[in-house]
Amino acid sequence: MTVVSLRLPRRAAAGDRSPATASLAVARRRPPVDVLVSIGVLAVVLVWSVAPGLVTSQDPADGVPADKLLGPSAAHWFGTDHLGRDVFTRVVYGSSSSVLSALVAVAIGLLVGGLIGLIAGFIGGWVDSTLSRLVDVLLAIPGFLLAVVIVTALGFQTINAAIATGVSAVAVFARLMRAETIRTRQSVFVEAAYLQGGSATHVLTRHVLPNASRSVVALAVLQFGVSILVIASLAFLGYGDPPPASDWGLLVSAGKDYRTAPWLVYTPAVVIIATVLALNRVSRWLRKTD
Amino acid sequence: MRHLYLAYAGRRTGQAIVVVLLTYVVTFLAISVLPGDPVTSTLRNPENGFSEEEIARIVSYYGLDQPVAVQLWQALSRFLVGDLGVSMRTNLPVAQLVGAVVGSTLVLAASALAVALVLAGAIAYGAHRFPWAPGRSLLRSLPSFFLSVPTFVIGLVLIYVFAFDLGLFRVIEPDSAWATFFAALTLGVPVSAQLAEVLIAGLDHEAQQEYTSVARSRGLGEARLYLRHLLKPSSLPVVTVLALTVGELLGGAVITETIFGRTGIGSLVQRSVSTQDLPVLQAVVALAAVVFVVVNLAADLLYPLLDPRVRRVGSARSGAGVGAVGAGSAGVGSVGAGTPDGELESADVLAAFVADEQLAAVGDSAIEVPLEERVRVS
Amino acid sequence: MSRTTASPTRLTALRRRARGLATTAVAALAATGLLAACATASGDAGAASSGSAGDASADAAGGEPQQGGDLVFLIDSLGDTWIPNNSAISSFQGQVWGHVTDKLVYVDDAGQVSPWVAESWEQNEDATQFTLHLRDGVTFSDGTPVDAAAVVANLDVWAKGDPDKGINPIGLFPKTYQSATAQDASTVVVTFSAPTLGFIPTLGYHGSILISPTTLALSGEEQADLSNDIGSGPFVVKSWKEGDSVVLERRDDYDWGPEALEHTGPAYLDTITYKIVAESSLRTSSVTAGQADVAYNAPPQELDGLAAQGFVIATPRYLGFVNGYAIDATVAPFDDPKVRQAFQHAIDRDEILSTVYTYDWLPAESFIQSNVPEATDHSADFAHDADLAASLLDEAGWTLGSDGVRSKDGTPLAVTLYPNPYLATSKAVDELVAQQLTDLGFAVDIQAYDVVTYGEKVIKNTTPIALTEITRSFIDVGTVASILTSANKGEDWFGVGETDTELNRLRDEVAGAVDTDSRAASVDELQGYVLQQGYFVPLTQIVQRIYVQNPALHGVTYNGIAYANYSAAWLEQ
Repeated sequence: MTVVSLRLPRRAAAGDRSPATASLAVARRRPPVDVLVSIGVLAVVLVWSVAPGLVTSQDPADGVPADKLLGPSAAHWFGTDHLGRDVFTRVVYGSSSSVLSALVAVAIGLLVGGLIGLIAGFIGGWVDSTLSRLVDVLLAIPGFLLAVVIVTALGFQTINAAIATGVSAVAVFARLMRAETIRTRQSVFVEAAYLQGGSATHVLTRHVLPNASRSVVALAVLQFGVSILVIASLAFLGYGDPPPASDWGLLVSAGKDYRTAPWLVYTPAVVIIATVLALNRVSRWLRKTD
Repeated sequence: MRHLYLAYAGRRTGQAIVVVLLTYVVTFLAISVLPGDPVTSTLRNPENGFSEEEIARIVSYYGLDQPVAVQLWQALSRFLVGDLGVSMRTNLPVAQLVGAVVGSTLVLAASALAVALVLAGAIAYGAHRFPWAPGRSLLRSLPSFFLSVPTFVIGLVLIYVFAFDLGLFRVIEPDSAWATFFAALTLGVPVSAQLAEVLIAGLDHEAQQEYTSVARSRGLGEARLYLRHLLKPSSLPVVTVLALTVGELLGGAVITETIFGRTGIGSLVQRSVSTQDLPVLQAVVALAAVVFVVVNLAADLLYPLLDPRVRRVGSARSGAGVGAVGAGSAGVGSVGAGTPDGELESADVLAAFVADEQLAAVGDSAIEVPLEERVRVS
Repeated sequence: MSRTTASPTRLTALRRRARGLATTAVAALAATGLLAACATASGDAGAASSGSAGDASADAAGGEPQQGGDLVFLIDSLGDTWIPNNSAISSFQGQVWGHVTDKLVYVDDAGQVSPWVAESWEQNEDATQFTLHLRDGVTFSDGTPVDAAAVVANLDVWAKGDPDKGINPIGLFPKTYQSATAQDASTVVVTFSAPTLGFIPTLGYHGSILISPTTLALSGEEQADLSNDIGSGPFVVKSWKEGDSVVLERRDDYDWGPEALEHTGPAYLDTITYKIVAESSLRTSSVTAGQADVAYNAPPQELDGLAAQGFVIATPRYLGFVNGYAIDATVAPFDDPKVRQAFQHAIDRDEILSTVYTYDWLPAESFIQSNVPEATDHSADFAHDADLAASLLDEAGWTLGSDGVRSKDGTPLAVTLYPNPYLATSKAVDELVAQQLTDLGFAVDIQAYDVVTYGEKVIKNTTPIALTEITRSFIDVGTVASILTSANKGEDWFGVGETDTELNRLRDEVAGAVDTDSRAASVDELQGYVLQQGYFVPLTQIVQRIYVQNPALHGVTYNGIAYANYSAAWLEQ
């Protein structure tokens, strides 16, 4: 929701290397084991979404009706669904849509929110006040409620759920970007850049954006995980794509009706949890290293 | 000093009102751009077999054939005098519909908050005091895990285990004590994760302070040390985070109430959305915005009064005309930061607080309200 | 249609499932502790229930009815408004209305009409005037009599609605209605502008509920409050909460149930609670856990397991159209009869039945359900025959390309299916149909919408849609005539308007019939013609209302529209 962060001074001005940062620099060269595992998880998901055909040879949309609702086995790692389709295959093929929709959500939040924050922070004055009220409005509506309302307006499809999720993230990105922009603008070295005759564009591209990018990228990675959860929740409520689409959230949503086949719920759920957990871990690591 | 505070309070209140009204308009426009409404879609149920003329006649009864601007003006002028209109789905007054369910959601949200606080306290304490190191690091990673599990999975698992297998509660009595508890747990788990992260960060910081080792060396018991000396300063950021989770509790209620079969604001939204019941959605979104704005306004207004250090720093800052974000070097990432004309908001208040504590020495691991809770929406 | 015993095959299926669950539980443990708890739990439930599979002979009346008891009925939703006219046809609120109100006639699940509040009736020779004789002593629960004046008030509002109050007319009420007059306190004369054989059966339709004139005089907003809606049924509303529940209690002086139900006195049950539980798995699990008596709308594929556990499954069919596609014969490629026929023969109905449904579902024999008295068996006209379908497509010039998709003059043989949001299984059926059509060389797309969007994009389409999936009940076969063609503002399902003279001739015969025998012959001819032209692609007979019941519940009946009736039901205690 609202971004409140009490972060310590970053070493924006160069040359201020405390012992803590030094050790972090070492840590950065050798990421901790759990970060490596997380990156591994994300790599697997990436392969699934880019080249699902490499991972499984079965068809996600065409099943063997006679083999419906079979439990997990060597032939069907995640079991089969109500039409005899292999759930593992459906999870793998659902990755690209799940990943893509989360990407769309993050991209909307990042671009729209980032731009609003940048303009507000960089220009200031009444522009800032106006944009800030707009962001306040977005912030005052609970994010999930906002997403539900927007997806209602756009129609119940995964891409619309992604757009809705992105819009509900605009405020967060806007606030972060605005704060980062103001912070950089007011820092000593930017004052110096101005004094040396640097143009606004120069300050923007050489100082403001690079300095803001670290926390914004970390937020984007984190928001990626959050978006997966929000889109899955929207799908759970029935605001997703039509069959035979197999987004992870849709798989859980469709599977929950079959209580005698619990694997339909927990196999995609575990994939969701593992992915989001990995994203959280990587986001944290990104924030801690510079 | 006093007039300064009053001016600040007045300006913040005015902004809050503007935000609520804008929220109403934005919601109206968002829902109005789409084709379709509950009245027409009920009429178009194939079981009905109505002709388009019959449909048009009833649609005009509801004023749905008017231009959007006219509809917006009517809705807004009604809203200003407190009339929320009539639900198109149920034909009942919106105020009656919302009034009937708001209590249930309040109970749920309050219980969820209580559950979250207790859970967060336990996790944070355990993360520091658990006698076994792997246990401590497990507890430390618990909030991350909580934030990665979809709410509906938590809810379904709790219902299957505790309602059906252990028989602790009946799904058809969602307002019973146990059912409310498990619904609150579902809603509270993600919130607890955020609180726990803030608390752990706070405790981490306080535990490194000099006065802590002094207290220890004087033989102060660990439990007392935590309760009396460490918890209090660590919990100040928690207050701000709490104000911010209000919106999240309302948003999360949509899923929790739907799963647990509770009749509250959330399930009302769910039913209204599927039929595009505009007046109800508008009222609920406006209500949520009012609650969010009021709670955060209250937090902002109370903070300077509660913490003398903030009062000092805040006024010093206003006086100096320094942008809030520039307050010391501490407010760096504070995105809730006030406008550059030196206004106070809860976040910069916190920033000031941290600055006062001279945290700069401890390095990057100091108090940082984690990003997770700033962006978490469900 | 209710199931009485658990067959050996079902028990085998259960054992197989139990083994599956054991594996599942282990896998889940490996995955995450939290989720494993869930899986293990369902495993336990399966194991425990197989012991109780003994008492499966539940629906056969088990001894003397017992007085008292509180029935809990879990339902997906309780719909929207409670304005009687606007809600009576709802699959959800109809359940409540059926107990709070009475109807003039009773129509059973075989389409047979019998007296209820109307004791007897007669019609004139050309079926344009009907005289209803009302039963004496029937009262609304507010004490006012159900007399001729009340019936006239109801007939008027059914036929015309009250647009100034936002109150709809009842869909499917004969549009030929002219007027109703009270001849004396217990006689009503109703006149129509044209022969209307369907009038009497329509009085047993779920929309035709008798409401107190006091209620009808209220504003729309007041009628939307269920507590203000007064009926004459065996139960009265005790309390209700929007979006949550409706509680009904017995009316002790009730004594005018339909004779067809045998039990005409007050109900045995003390109360019925309709409680909303939106998740279907939670509804059925509540019943299996003994926390409720009836779960509405379970997924068909769960039914075998539930039956094996001893629960009673009822899958009553309503009178109406079967589930299938109405084809707009003006939209390419379906403007060619051969393509339409190929589509009919491409569908493997057995596979749909065995995959999506259970064997309690029946294959379609025509485009109307086989329990409609006038239905005749035309299944040979559209039997599954993939080879025939392929050769029909070849003849029509659609040749198979290397990508497995047929095309003609460079146009691929494409079709879009729009699953009907009013039927829960529709998506699964369409997915299976898509597989079957793909095998034949169709390029199939599925576009699923929610109810609101479906209404905008499919029902009120601006560009004609080739295939519309039909789920539609009717109480009298005369409805068919008023829907299929464009005459009298009909819905023109096949898009042919007046151009198909044969279709219009048959329509006129059915609509203008003045006796049921001659009409039945015309309806038979109409069914054959529509199916041979490939205008309609039947899938299966439809069960839109599914009930999973506690075996201790006895004496439940289902009317012609497949609503459960508990006025003679009792709970073994």
